[in-house]
Amino acid sequence: MINESYVVAEEKELVNASLSGDKRAFGEIVSRYQRMVARTVKGMLGDSVFAEDIGQEVFIKLFYSLKEFRGESKLSTYIQKIAVNLTLNEIKRRKRFFSMFSQKANNEMFEFEIADNDTEERKEASEIVNKALLAMDPKFRIILTMRMLQGYSTKETAEILELPIGTVLSRLSRAQEQLRNILIKL
Amino acid sequence: MNISQIKQLMISSLNPDADTNMVSGKLKEAGITYNFSPDFKDKVLDKLFTASSKINREVEFVKYMNFAFYRVALTGVAAIVVLLISIFFMEGSLSLNSFLGLSDNYNESIVCLLTGK
Repeated sequence: MINESYVVAEEKELVNASLSGDKRAFGEIVSRYQRMVARTVKGMLGDSVFAEDIGQEVFIKLFYSLKEFRGESKLSTYIQKIAVNLTLNEIKRRKRFFSMFSQKANNEMFEFEIADNDTEERKEASEIVNKALLAMDPKFRIILTMRMLQGYSTKETAEILELPIGTVLSRLSRAQEQLRNILIKL
Repeated sequence: MNISQIKQLMISSLNPDADTNMVSGKLKEAGITYNFSPDFKDKVLDKLFTASSKINREVEFVKYMNFAFYRVALTGVAAIVVLLISIFFMEGSLSLNSFLGLSDNYNESIVCLLTGK
């Protein structure tokens, strides 16, 4: 039976209802986490229409893998892991494609769109952030996305990226150095 | 927030002990927001639930095809068995000639049959 109060439902209730094929329950999961997924996917791939396809893939993969979700971690962490994996796979795929068929440089593989209704100041801010993100090496870009856009701590970043904390700390310092060099030029 | 402040925030987010929630909050205020198109949820649900109903239809079709195949195969085997039994009773053996209906024909009778002489 369809629950009318999914807006305030617990994660577990939403997961169980989605597993039994309840479209509205899964719709509520999409509504709750789509902004979070958008930050990861668009932060990594650029704010383009192609990123939206990857975003859809994230939720489709989530739907089919929900039965494997045991509730040991938060649903948001589980979704974030799927988003990170699909995004990194897409970057690898594009790299292969561009190395075979195009002379474009790595940072030209991605593009971003800026909303027309923003003020000049906001547009400029958005442009700087996106240009800096896309100019970074993907393994540093994912760290910057998790920290700057998602607000994750070092421990949470390590858990989502499935990396030891030591590796994350070392990447933080190298990513900061790369970001400084990029921002000087922008 | 001016551009140099945004750049500083970006760099500071990579400090190991940074208050990353504060950084992401300030960037949101500065207009660094990401979202999908307004019909994103509908697109996802359409893909999922249209696809799963299509898959269900395909699974049912395959199930009925299997069922139909067994029915046809069983009927075919039964017909072959009946045919073999009838040949055995009519011809007294299951040789190749019996199958081809040639057991009572001699060369002469075939010539008669074909030429009418």
